Amino acid sequence: MRKIVLALALTASATATQAQIRFPTIIPLSRGPQQPVMQGIDAMRAEFAAQSGGTTVYFGSESVILGAPARTVLAAQAAWLRRHPEIVVRIEGYGDTGDTRDHALAMGARRAEEARSYLLLLGVPAAQVSTTSWGKERPGLGRSVTVLVR
Amino acid sequence: MKRFLLPFLLIGIAGPAQAQQPAATVIAVPPLTSPDGGNRGNEMLAVGWDATQLIVSDLRQTAELMPLQPNRDDYYSYPEVTAPTFSKWRSKGAKALVTGFVQSRSDGRLTVGCYVYDVEKGRELARKGFVIAPTDWRRAAHKCSGLAYTAITGAAGIFDTRIAYVAETGVGDARTKRVAVMDSDGTNHRYVTAGDAMALTPRLAPNATQLAYVSYAGGKPNVRIVDLGSKQERPLIPTDAISFAPRYSPDGSRIVFSMMQGANSDIYVVSANGGLPRRLTTSPGVDTDPSFSPDGSRIVFESDRGGSQQLYVMNADGAAQRRISFTGGWYASPEWSPDGDWIVFTQRSTAGRRIGIVKPDGSGERMLTNGPGDESPSWAPSSREILFQRADIAGRSGLYRVALDGSEPRPLTLPQGGSDPDWSGVMD
Repeated sequence: MRKIVLALALTASATATQAQIRFPTIIPLSRGPQQPVMQGIDAMRAEFAAQSGGTTVYFGSESVILGAPARTVLAAQAAWLRRHPEIVVRIEGYGDTGDTRDHALAMGARRAEEARSYLLLLGVPAAQVSTTSWGKERPGLGRSVTVLVR
Repeated sequence: MKRFLLPFLLIGIAGPAQAQQPAATVIAVPPLTSPDGGNRGNEMLAVGWDATQLIVSDLRQTAELMPLQPNRDDYYSYPEVTAPTFSKWRSKGAKALVTGFVQSRSDGRLTVGCYVYDVEKGRELARKGFVIAPTDWRRAAHKCSGLAYTAITGAAGIFDTRIAYVAETGVGDARTKRVAVMDSDGTNHRYVTAGDAMALTPRLAPNATQLAYVSYAGGKPNVRIVDLGSKQERPLIPTDAISFAPRYSPDGSRIVFSMMQGANSDIYVVSANGGLPRRLTTSPGVDTDPSFSPDGSRIVFESDRGGSQQLYVMNADGAAQRRISFTGGWYASPEWSPDGDWIVFTQRSTAGRRIGIVKPDGSGERMLTNGPGDESPSWAPSSREILFQRADIAGRSGLYRVALDGSEPRPLTLPQGGSDPDWSGVMD
């Protein structure tokens, strides 16, 4: 299967505030054969971002609790993912850059798992969502677009 | 893997003489001699001179010993190896003396003999001999340095040891992080992983023949084991779960590590050869960074079960978990000292990250560095120094070592940036 990884641009809203931690990025990983070929990466990315209100949700410092804004974004993402069962996404969690390496890694994994649980709660099939954690290894990611065709 | 070092004369090593004086012990290391004659003898003397300079260089790095500058004119005969002229070294102010020889063998290898003396008392403290391939003269010299250091200070030497760390090049998304290994004096530097997948936290087996590290090769972090000789790699356990923070038991037979199950990070132990891991902690939240006590009976780790990262000690089977850090701030990445007396940790606070030590019962806490970008401490085999990672203002990371006396940390010279250092025990 041809896999497409999209790190969708963050439409940088009020999220740049102080102690908020960027997390997680929802990345469409692959699309199945039934997906119209003419729908390009850019179109899909734009649609996902527009209809879910963003690709990134944020946690408080040292927190794995999904706040109301995060749940709003995830709910929109869940709705979109239910309409696109052929899309597989990976949730990438991030820790605090001021944290120690392994605790940051664990916090990123916990946050990714919390977001995944919420998507599943809203009816997204488990097989459609995987998780990973970058800990504090990618402090710059989230405000840029990365397109990887594998 | 034992390709070298058959101690062939290990006769009556005297008990360690205590270094009760605060000042460094002056030690003389005249050039190693040889019983061989002719051209062969000259070759052996040349190897001996190289080894002598390396011994002096090793000992100069320690806080406890101060070697005199070696002088090629201080030649002595083979019989004088075991009957040195103490008065000569007394007059030069030396309190200790190292003598030795390099002898060729019929099988093409070399015998290196090493002897340590108390100059004031005129008596032998220790002796050891090694049979080596000619290319391994550096290891024989390091072994001799360790013999002298241990005989005089009573502590384990750090000379025939290795350091593993993560070599960092590039910035941002172009950053490469791969595992590198070197001898503790910085020589013999080599890369263990290719750099195509991000690597974190290499941890050497006690004999430094293999290491465990975290690889992103499968897209998510997983503990892998790599043999340093064959370069062969395997996952520690066959699982899709995120696993990290591996560390060997002191005897090398087990590995403790963290694994995610759902949104929960707990500590597990598994045979270093693989098999079924056993879960040691069950608290919700993050339990990670486990490290064995030197006798293998207990494990120190960090947990945020109480609301913030703190240090806990438990029995090696997971029983009797109790918190040992209470003085404020957040505590992380503990490692138990090889002599068992201390636990080194990273403390997080609003002032940044610093390195400190505390006794296993929670007493005696003190800070060794000022930060603000310090973390990942690892003990020297001597238990007298700590290697750690320090980030500068630009975010570039390098390795530093600091002594327990709180003196200024010294940077290690590396070919590139470095993080996540780990210092092995003395090799066989």
